[in-house]
Amino acid sequence: MFTVPDRLKPTYDVVIIGAGGHGLAAAYYLARDHGIHNVAVLERGYIGGGNTGRNTTIIRSNYLTPEGVKFYDESVRLWQDLAQDFDLNLFYSTRGHFTLAHTDASMRTMRWRAEVNKHYGVDSEVVDAQEVQRAVPMMDIRCGGHSPPVLGALYHAPGAIARHDAVAWGYGRGADRRGVEIHQNTEVLSIDTEECESGRAVVGVTTNRGRISTRKVLCAVAGSTPGMLKMVGLSSPIYIHPLQAMVSEPVKPWLDPVIVSGSLHVYVSQSARGELVMGASLDPYELHSTRSTLDFVESLSAHMLELFPFLSDVRVMRQWAGMADMTPDFSPIMGLTPVAGFYIDAGWGTWGFKATPVCGKTMSHTVATNRTHPLIDAFGYDRFSRFELTGEKGAASVGH
Amino acid sequence: MKRLPARPGEWIRRDEVVRFTFEGQARLGFAGDTITSALLAAGDAILGRSFKYHRPRGPLSAANHDANLVMQVDLGDRTTPNVRADVARIQAGAVVHAVNTHGGVRSDRGALTGFFAPFLPVGFYYKAFHGKRLFPLWERVFRSMTGLGRVDLAAPQRTTPKRYDFVDVLVVGAGPSGLSAALTAALAGASVLLIDENMQLGGSGQYVRHSPDRVERINRLVDAANSHPRIRTLCDAVAVGYYADHWVAVDTPRSLVKVRARSVIVAQGGFEQPVVFRGNDLPGVMLAGAAQRLLARYAVAPASRVVILTANEHGYAAALDAIDAGIHVEAILDLRATPGPASRELASDPRLVGVHLATGVQPYEASSGAGGRVASLAFRTAAAPGRLHKIAIDGVWMSVGFAPAQSLLHQAGTVMRYERSIEQFLPQTLPKGLFACGKANGRYGFDARLADGERAGAQAAAGLGFGADVAPVSIAGEECPSHEYPIFPHPKGKEFVDFDEDIQIRDYENAVQEGFDSSELLKRYTTSGMGPSQGKHSNMNALRILARIRGEGLEQHALTTARPMFHPVLMSHLAGRGFQPERRTPIDAEHTTLGAVWMPAGNWRRPEYYAVEGKSRSEAIAAELRSVRTGVGLIDVGTLGKVEAHGPCAGEFLDRVYTGRFSNLKVGMTRYGLMLDEAGVVIDDGVIGRLRAESFYFTTTTGNSGTLFREFGRLATTWRLPVGLVNLTGHYAAFNLAGPKSREMLRSLTTLDVSEDAFPYLALREGAVAGVPCRLMRVGFVGELGFELHVPADYAVTVWRALLQAGRAHGIRPFGVEAQRLLRLEKGHMIIGQDTDATTTALEINAPWAIKMDKPFFIGQRSLQALARTPRHLSLVGFRLPPGTAGRVKEAHLVIHDGEISGRVTSVGHSPTLEYGIGLALVDPKVADSGLLSIRVGRTEMVEAAVTALPFYDPDSQRQRSGSSP
Amino acid sequence: MKILVCPINGPRSISEFAYGGEIRPMPDPATTSDGDWARYVFNRSGVAGVKLEWWCHTASGVWFVAERDTATDTVLQTYLYDAAGRS
Repeated sequence: MFTVPDRLKPTYDVVIIGAGGHGLAAAYYLARDHGIHNVAVLERGYIGGGNTGRNTTIIRSNYLTPEGVKFYDESVRLWQDLAQDFDLNLFYSTRGHFTLAHTDASMRTMRWRAEVNKHYGVDSEVVDAQEVQRAVPMMDIRCGGHSPPVLGALYHAPGAIARHDAVAWGYGRGADRRGVEIHQNTEVLSIDTEECESGRAVVGVTTNRGRISTRKVLCAVAGSTPGMLKMVGLSSPIYIHPLQAMVSEPVKPWLDPVIVSGSLHVYVSQSARGELVMGASLDPYELHSTRSTLDFVESLSAHMLELFPFLSDVRVMRQWAGMADMTPDFSPIMGLTPVAGFYIDAGWGTWGFKATPVCGKTMSHTVATNRTHPLIDAFGYDRFSRFELTGEKGAASVGH
Repeated sequence: MKRLPARPGEWIRRDEVVRFTFEGQARLGFAGDTITSALLAAGDAILGRSFKYHRPRGPLSAANHDANLVMQVDLGDRTTPNVRADVARIQAGAVVHAVNTHGGVRSDRGALTGFFAPFLPVGFYYKAFHGKRLFPLWERVFRSMTGLGRVDLAAPQRTTPKRYDFVDVLVVGAGPSGLSAALTAALAGASVLLIDENMQLGGSGQYVRHSPDRVERINRLVDAANSHPRIRTLCDAVAVGYYADHWVAVDTPRSLVKVRARSVIVAQGGFEQPVVFRGNDLPGVMLAGAAQRLLARYAVAPASRVVILTANEHGYAAALDAIDAGIHVEAILDLRATPGPASRELASDPRLVGVHLATGVQPYEASSGAGGRVASLAFRTAAAPGRLHKIAIDGVWMSVGFAPAQSLLHQAGTVMRYERSIEQFLPQTLPKGLFACGKANGRYGFDARLADGERAGAQAAAGLGFGADVAPVSIAGEECPSHEYPIFPHPKGKEFVDFDEDIQIRDYENAVQEGFDSSELLKRYTTSGMGPSQGKHSNMNALRILARIRGEGLEQHALTTARPMFHPVLMSHLAGRGFQPERRTPIDAEHTTLGAVWMPAGNWRRPEYYAVEGKSRSEAIAAELRSVRTGVGLIDVGTLGKVEAHGPCAGEFLDRVYTGRFSNLKVGMTRYGLMLDEAGVVIDDGVIGRLRAESFYFTTTTGNSGTLFREFGRLATTWRLPVGLVNLTGHYAAFNLAGPKSREMLRSLTTLDVSEDAFPYLALREGAVAGVPCRLMRVGFVGELGFELHVPADYAVTVWRALLQAGRAHGIRPFGVEAQRLLRLEKGHMIIGQDTDATTTALEINAPWAIKMDKPFFIGQRSLQALARTPRHLSLVGFRLPPGTAGRVKEAHLVIHDGEISGRVTSVGHSPTLEYGIGLALVDPKVADSGLLSIRVGRTEMVEAAVTALPFYDPDSQRQRSGSSP
Repeated sequence: MKILVCPINGPRSISEFAYGGEIRPMPDPATTSDGDWARYVFNRSGVAGVKLEWWCHTASGVWFVAERDTATDTVLQTYLYDAAGRS
């Protein structure tokens, strides 16, 4: 599926840091759509070993802001054809996606999202508790009487899951076949810049396997972004919190849709193997580590049983964690930076997986043309210094 | 195969027969039997089917790792999925079926996929069926085949309380090294908790029985541990996860125990590893340790004629145990050219005289006979590689090496290294307070394990100040316990490396060829180690295969990251009782009596409205509203955050926290407070009153009260302002008495002068109401003459009842959150979190009167200055709906301008007072200026609403100021 | 579960504490440009390393400083904000 190049070339047209889904997708589209083949993807660990392989694989476009909805809708569109593009089964499975509301405040937010979604042609609608019950008859919408009951939900029919690793492999193989070199176990030690008219510009990258020169570097290292930015002297709002997940032993399929409850801090889907893949909210404090906590599996299990009491005898098999790039407005930071030739694709918070194809598309365009792709205009690095935040955080507004 | 006569130390109770059924047939066993042991004793050979190819499988480990022997157990009306036959005890009346079969374990139609197996290599699924139209069809088929056990969707929740434990030294594993570690640490003075996942202590010391002397020594250690005053023992207890600061999750049959230890000793032994050769998965082929466990614990002979496939002394010991149990050992086949000294010593045991011993053995294939059970083993030897030997047997026992049980050590952050002399990973650097001993630490000889346990126990105790440290135990001179490459490819495959997932040698070779050439990638591509046993039998061999293909030593490789759980844990155990606190105000029961319909509010519950028989929800709410507008109403606002700030700097503190000015607030007066975050976003509001020169009393919103009080403390610390802050949220109950008749009514309950002159709008007074000391504030949130009464929680019921009693003559009604929302909407008052969101800045809410930009500082001030120089984003405005449209416009409906989204409705309702629809919207200021909002209420349907000045009701606010009519 | 040492209440499980973020000295609002102010408000030193952080023992309301390595989650020491003239 991949060739394993034995050495780095002295020069590349583009160096991409991070062989996760995003980095590999950018490489793939650079080669396929922009004719740029002399590309190196540098990876400290192994292909797809970061958040690509650690997320809970949910794909959806039911966002709140126009910018978010348009961006993720394009991503969902790209997902549809990806398996055929790759000639690789991604197990892309449209399941439908319920975001449960347990308070009237959260029902308002669901309607807000539904209205914005519909405006842009995205299939989302607010459903009441009875409709939720009809679609997921085994769910205890009273939440066992322990938590506020389910009042309704935002239903998003295109919500899907996919096999996360395969996405990285598909893009990796596609890029590899088009001449892109993927260098694993290659750690970036510094990004070299020099003075230029506009300030500073990228001239090369020093790795643990030697120095390479390049004029363009794309940084796609969710979970490690601040360290990379520091190498080029940039600061950012990004801070890192772990995001944990867990998976059960396989059981016979019983759950079709993806279920999310913000109030209960639960999201769950059942994989093709029959495992329940479950996640919750971010860890409460900054940490650059993928350690696990017991509190996480305890509280997630407790909330899972509120919704699905019959899972009492189902066993949790494994837990793990990834590191999430958080931003103040819950939107990514993408595109050009004040350092010429240094591009970022970062700030993915807890949701970068679903954006993999559209990030590859837009970032390859941005890198190839040195102009921000219109779909990511609202996600610029400099928006914070102008107080021009995107409103995605509005969905998290406090409820009374 | 058969039950042996009673054996010393067996775990079964022969006086208690247990009857159950397996796959529809009656079976019986003894109390203490596992499903596996009872079925083997009954003569069953095939106990389960593999996950992918549905191949017949028997026991492999008999140690909770037999992921192919997973049962659905029905008992009474309870069905339990994924029960592991190798450790689950039989229960009377249980109905047991192997999971994931189509038509039963003996004639599984799913085995057809086995027929197609050559076409289903690893990675196949990735490469097929991905057509846009094909995949959904295929997925349906695939999903019907997938999964293990079946969940009963009607099963009730089971709650199990958790337990906590605190101890100096936690010893995980009570085999020889764990026992000796526990005793040594206890003798030094430490308190010890010794846990073992088995039913009894002893570990391999208990089931490896060929040496009476060793058994005797272990029994003495077990007795000593059980009777030592500083040792507590816990059996059937699995340490499932190691978490920060020696916090260990221990799963027991009934509940989760969370242990906080000061030191942890890991003595979990090692997982014996299979030999990889064709047919190594046939029923009857098992790890030697599995056979020894079945013999010693359940007195079950899993074979009558066995061949021992070995590469260490433990295989010879298993041969002795077989002979002692009356099992015929056909041959000992040693993979090594030269057996080590310990093996040679055992080989010279008189009991092995006459047993054929071959060295340099290369197993070729095992074949099955009638009933699917292994019937023969074919092998070659290095001396005569051209010649294939074949032995007829009904059991193959494998003992060629171990994978140390280092999962907890990995989770704790131990750095490992590969040690050639024992072909094993060893702890190199252990975190502070963590120790390893025995097999987990590379010590395999019996005496070496005891000595290593003593060393670990002494070190752990010494680290806590008990006794003296000791020197490490050398591993030099020990016989290597593990073969370096017990892997024998066969031209026709079926040499299984991972039994959970049916992964064969060529699957790994293909994966590496495809570029998945690191342990992590290999695992992910092949799914090796991702099944229920989490790679306990496959990770080590997979790594050996990977290293060999890459032509590297294992020193260059690392095992994939080990994560909790060590064994899967019931969700009910992790969940415990699912404790979810809910707060209730002191008069919660009063609301219930009055017919309250509840709604959640932060952690609290509040009456949404009070149901009235024969009236609809909206009628009841309208009636509540009318009583406030025309008479008097009473609402419980006790969920508000309530805070006192004391000290000479209290005023300055509030000036910095809130946008308004409070240092100049007169004693006995209140003022509205608006709070921003550093970015200028509106986060909270409340009423701030001055009790005395250096004392303020103020409220925050319900949902924010906890976090804000905490934040006040941080701010005071940061600013080094000596302010005494007291959280009185729970101490005070609070009611809002509102309506034109509120003053008159209140007068009958208080000696306080409540006249307009003595107690004007926004004033704060303290006095007795219904004989209870009370803080009263003249407020206007709902737009009528009103008094907010804050009374000590203990007296809340008294005052509440007195108010309702006194108000009866005036037609008083309690009102709920919904009526209050409408009342305040008529006044155009915003609710933070409803009319604002997490991005709404103070410039957008049109409340310049509340924001004193000329103060030296307040949180968010500098950002507002910067924001004032950027284009204004949104503006909170009021609108009036045309007749007949109020029911169609909903909160969060969008305002559309030129086809684009230009804002949204944040509040809307039909005003019973004004008799038309009103609302608030956050919209583009330019659109607001146009005077008309186009609100989309359906796919294409629009409602045109007129932008209207606020407030809608009583524009000059005469009613709340003086109580007089406008 | 991790243990954190409150300078007043001693060692406690981390579930008793609330994280208050990194201690970030505020620039003088009067002399700071809009852009620099925005950077103060939004930007964070997101690189892993030893940081001075706010932590609160929630049961008692004690705010204190923890020197914590955000790469390893190791707490080097904790003390009150004003203690020993620190921070």
